[in-house]
Amino acid sequence: MAIITTHGLSKVYQAGKVPVHALRDVDLSIEEGEFTSIVGPSGSGKTTLLNQLGGLDRPSSGEVWVDGCNISALKDSQLIDYRLRHIGFIFQSYNLLPVFTAAENVAFILLLQGEKKDRIRQRVSELLTEVGLGDRMDARPRELSGGQQQRVAVARALASRPRFILADEPTANLDSQSAMKLLDIMEKMNREHRMTFIFSTHDQRVIERARRVIRMVDGAIESDQVQQPEPHQA
Amino acid sequence: MLYLSLAWRNLWRNARRTLITLASIAFAVVLALWVSSMNRGSHQLMVDNLSRFHTGFIQLQEPAWLDEPSLDHTLTYDPALQQQLLADTRLDYLVPRLETFMLAGGAEQVRGAMVLGVDAAAEQQLNGLQERLIAGEFFQPGDGRAVLTEGLARRLQLTVGDELVLLGQGRFASSAAGLFEVAGVVRHPLRELDNQLVYLSLPDAQWLLSAEQQVSTLLLTPHQLQQTDALVSSLRQSLDAQRHRVVPWQELMPEVLGAIQFDLAQQNFVLGTLYMVIGFGLFGTILMMTLERTREFGVLISLGMQRYRLSLVLLLETLMLTLLGVLAGCLPGWLLLRHFHHNPIQLGGDMAQVFEDMGMGLEPILPFALDADLFITQGLVLFVLSFLICLYPVLRVLRLDLMTAARS
Repeated sequence: MAIITTHGLSKVYQAGKVPVHALRDVDLSIEEGEFTSIVGPSGSGKTTLLNQLGGLDRPSSGEVWVDGCNISALKDSQLIDYRLRHIGFIFQSYNLLPVFTAAENVAFILLLQGEKKDRIRQRVSELLTEVGLGDRMDARPRELSGGQQQRVAVARALASRPRFILADEPTANLDSQSAMKLLDIMEKMNREHRMTFIFSTHDQRVIERARRVIRMVDGAIESDQVQQPEPHQA
Repeated sequence: MLYLSLAWRNLWRNARRTLITLASIAFAVVLALWVSSMNRGSHQLMVDNLSRFHTGFIQLQEPAWLDEPSLDHTLTYDPALQQQLLADTRLDYLVPRLETFMLAGGAEQVRGAMVLGVDAAAEQQLNGLQERLIAGEFFQPGDGRAVLTEGLARRLQLTVGDELVLLGQGRFASSAAGLFEVAGVVRHPLRELDNQLVYLSLPDAQWLLSAEQQVSTLLLTPHQLQQTDALVSSLRQSLDAQRHRVVPWQELMPEVLGAIQFDLAQQNFVLGTLYMVIGFGLFGTILMMTLERTREFGVLISLGMQRYRLSLVLLLETLMLTLLGVLAGCLPGWLLLRHFHHNPIQLGGDMAQVFEDMGMGLEPILPFALDADLFITQGLVLFVLSFLICLYPVLRVLRLDLMTAARS
């Protein structure tokens, strides 16, 4: 069952007086439980597409439907609330709150959702243990390595039990070992919880592990292939 | 709680910058407190001296007295009037005075003088006049003796035990002449009055001026000076305006009120400039805090934090910064003002002379007020200031474009 569909999605930016077509008439459908990479050269529209799917930016034309809801038509405050409750985000540069501990960064989303404190404590503990940081819950981001910070970001994205997770170049700032560990965790979440992951990436390691690869060129989908992911060699 | 915690931690991200900002706010608070407390203290002393030794806080007069202060426009001071006035519980006590101008003469000199018939006990209660005696003693009611102010005694070359002649006009153009023994000499705090006052007991003055049971002014002293305005309003309603006129000190001494208002305007200009400087300092800090976190604001909104909630965090940050600064300024400010409230700065030399020459109830000291509203006002002004400054980051958050924030 498709949880995300786009119809004729286009985005045009103005670079001075010159219009730049970042997305051109994209029609896309993402099924529940997919592990999908959006790939392509710089400027191909990967991040723009991801921003549109996450409701971070509005299309110039076309629509984005998530679970039967046209999120392109939502008001700003409705869209923020929608993101809080239905979408998880993982950013290239982690973007953890530096003043919070790992546990507080994960709990933050749940607090915004108005969850009860004892449930938050339990969920945060579960998630951080699941991403291998059960013993670093009280560490501030500056006390964690890049890989550890990105794992906290994964836990934060998962905290609200979103319908899908959008990850923008999640391994770009990580060393090889950290990147593989992160991919292992995300793959496990996908396999065990049927969590839908959509990545934008340049990273060949991510592309090889994806089960669907959407290739973009000049704002349009050039190819869309389902593949057998290569087994990971630990 | 989440927002308070987030705001508090954000405040200390750059501890050095926060401490510098706090120090500048605290310094401004101390300076503002110093200036306003010193001004308030001087004004209070001036009004207090002038009111106690000259006009009283509220006067009851015959309606024509203010325009034509003659003995033909006096009040009948009888028990019925006393009873009617003292029925108002806000009123503490009454001070009757019979006032006129006469020629005062000793063996060698004659001068014009203001003759004041007073109830010595009531005057003592109002202004502690008897404690200002520098020679002799005070008279008893109707004992035919007078007390002179130091300046007048010097001019008339009179001292305790000498005879004083008073010559002038009594009520309804009757002639008035009397011989009094000088019982004592007082040093009056108001320089102008020190050179011209003769105190008689009220019965002696009434006899001298053919004004039995008459007073020219009746000074009304409230229990609390803050009640003056309210008391004036209710007395004006309850008393017959055809027979009695109620006048507060502000109307009796408009020039003093004008001087105070001018002084306050200058003070407000100086404080306004100070607040502006502090405001820009605070704005600088808030601006930096905002600009360096634009990307983070974008991330928080992306993750699902409503803009108004983020604005609330920023408002809390600014308010916390201001509150800490105000508290850090108020505590040393209070200690400083408390010290000078109990130990006013004594002026000496030429400066003391300048103060004395200015008259208007000024004494060569700089007293400091310690009123709670001085501190509350500083807090309120800075809170309003911080609220206005906070509008910048709030507006920025409300208008923030997530794509622009992500690129910042």
